[in-house]
Amino acid sequence: MQDQRLIVGVYHLSKSFGKYFALKDINLQVANGEFVFLVGPSGAGKSTLLRLIYMDDFPTSGQVVVGSFVSTTMKRNTIPLLRRKVGIIFQDFRLLEDRTVFENIALAMKVTGVGIGEIKRQVTDILTRVGLYHKRYDFPPTLSGGEQQRVAIARAVANRPAVLLADEPTGNLDPVVTRNILELLFKINAGGTAVLMATHDLDLVRSFGQRIIYLENGQIVRDREMIYVGDLREKIAESKVSRKAERLREHDITGEQER
Amino acid sequence: MNLKQIRYIIDESMLMLKRRRGANIISIIIMGLSLLILVIFLLVTINIAGVISQASEELRVYVYLDDGVPKGISRDIQFRLLGMKGVEEVIYISRQEALSSFSQTLGEDSDILEALEKNPLPDAYRVKVKSDYIKGEFFEGVAQQVEEWEGVEEVRYGRRWFERGEKLVKGFYLTDLFLGLIIFLSGVFVISNTVRLTILHRQRAIDVMKLVGATNAYIQVPFVIEGALQGIVASLLATGLLAVLYVFTSRYIAGISFLRIEAILVFVTFCALLGALGSYTAMRRFLKI
Repeated sequence: MQDQRLIVGVYHLSKSFGKYFALKDINLQVANGEFVFLVGPSGAGKSTLLRLIYMDDFPTSGQVVVGSFVSTTMKRNTIPLLRRKVGIIFQDFRLLEDRTVFENIALAMKVTGVGIGEIKRQVTDILTRVGLYHKRYDFPPTLSGGEQQRVAIARAVANRPAVLLADEPTGNLDPVVTRNILELLFKINAGGTAVLMATHDLDLVRSFGQRIIYLENGQIVRDREMIYVGDLREKIAESKVSRKAERLREHDITGEQER
Repeated sequence: MNLKQIRYIIDESMLMLKRRRGANIISIIIMGLSLLILVIFLLVTINIAGVISQASEELRVYVYLDDGVPKGISRDIQFRLLGMKGVEEVIYISRQEALSSFSQTLGEDSDILEALEKNPLPDAYRVKVKSDYIKGEFFEGVAQQVEEWEGVEEVRYGRRWFERGEKLVKGFYLTDLFLGLIIFLSGVFVISNTVRLTILHRQRAIDVMKLVGATNAYIQVPFVIEGALQGIVASLLATGLLAVLYVFTSRYIAGISFLRIEAILVFVTFCALLGALGSYTAMRRFLKI
């Protein structure tokens, strides 16, 4: 029986490409509603770990559990169903350039087969929340990097996923926009969606007081305690996060690091 | 898969065709031109084959009878000829008929025939052979057999034609088949490869679709439809260009024929299937199924 409070469970996971081990005996759990940073230098295995979680690839040994999907027993043709429960964003946004902002987000919902009315309502709602409703008929190449990432986030959360995976989502963005995106992710997290964000930028995330998992050479070198939803709600109530976000908003681009 | 999803898949296909018009047009032109070579080849083959079969259709075996052969024996010969395998029709040509048709052939020079005291031509049977039997060995066999019969003076047929022509025709068909196969395969290759390149170009979009949880069918169907449509439009383009070429050349060469409508339909259907199949197999690789 799985722990119902967990959304992602990774157990004794290893992944090798030939003789080279990208990941070695990884164990980590993410609780429902938790916000976790996955930090490590380039090549540490962050992207590989995320890919194994959204099952774009499968482990050499060990197991990945996402909600009710178990990597060792699931059928390949159920992967699309998993993807609808997991939102994913990337450094390079991965939007369809020949579709409007609206169509990009609607696509994620269309594949699940929901009605067009529901799609219109939901997409309108999300676009308003990410502040891009006025750009709904624009094509991604005409948008700024930050705007494109917000569209990607909107698409990722369109199906109300239980967890959002973010692979270096701010890698291409300047500091101000980076903070905007982080704020948006916090906001989504506050709505109950767990977020697992990979980044190489420790300084960026150190100040937020979230759980940070350090990954180096394919191994977890440090992991702070898992925070269950109850604790997290408390934390939000303490509004450490929101205060942080508030302060960030006022912060100008000095590039100063907060401690 | 529910009805809504089917509707979305159709929308998806339409959207894809609309937004990617430029790339589609280029693919279609590439395919159309390579198919044009194929249809030109087909048309030339059909016309040459038509000429050959018409020529060989006109081949007849002439059975000349002995002078003054009794009616009974003559009738007997006719029945025996009719009873032979591969014989379609046996027509009696009396010496008078033969002479008048000969004089017709001579035209203005026919007066030289008046110098003749009597008609030198024999009575004859003209034997038409079923088209399946038009072969040198068959004619040869008939000739040898019939020449033995009582009342038959001589059997003639286009021996010359068979000695040279048959080899020529055989050679032509062999070369034609060989060339045709090469052109056909290169056409197949160009179409499936063009479709494959389209998909390679769209790999990013396919990845995105997979990322948001689209099923394989959802991703695949629009591409298969696109491939089929490319095949159809390209084959129609090739047929259209061929028609233009045909109209142009028929001014200079009389009596050439165009592809029959059934042939065009088969060709278009074939290209549609080829496009769809090329798209489908290429997708299978990307979708890892």
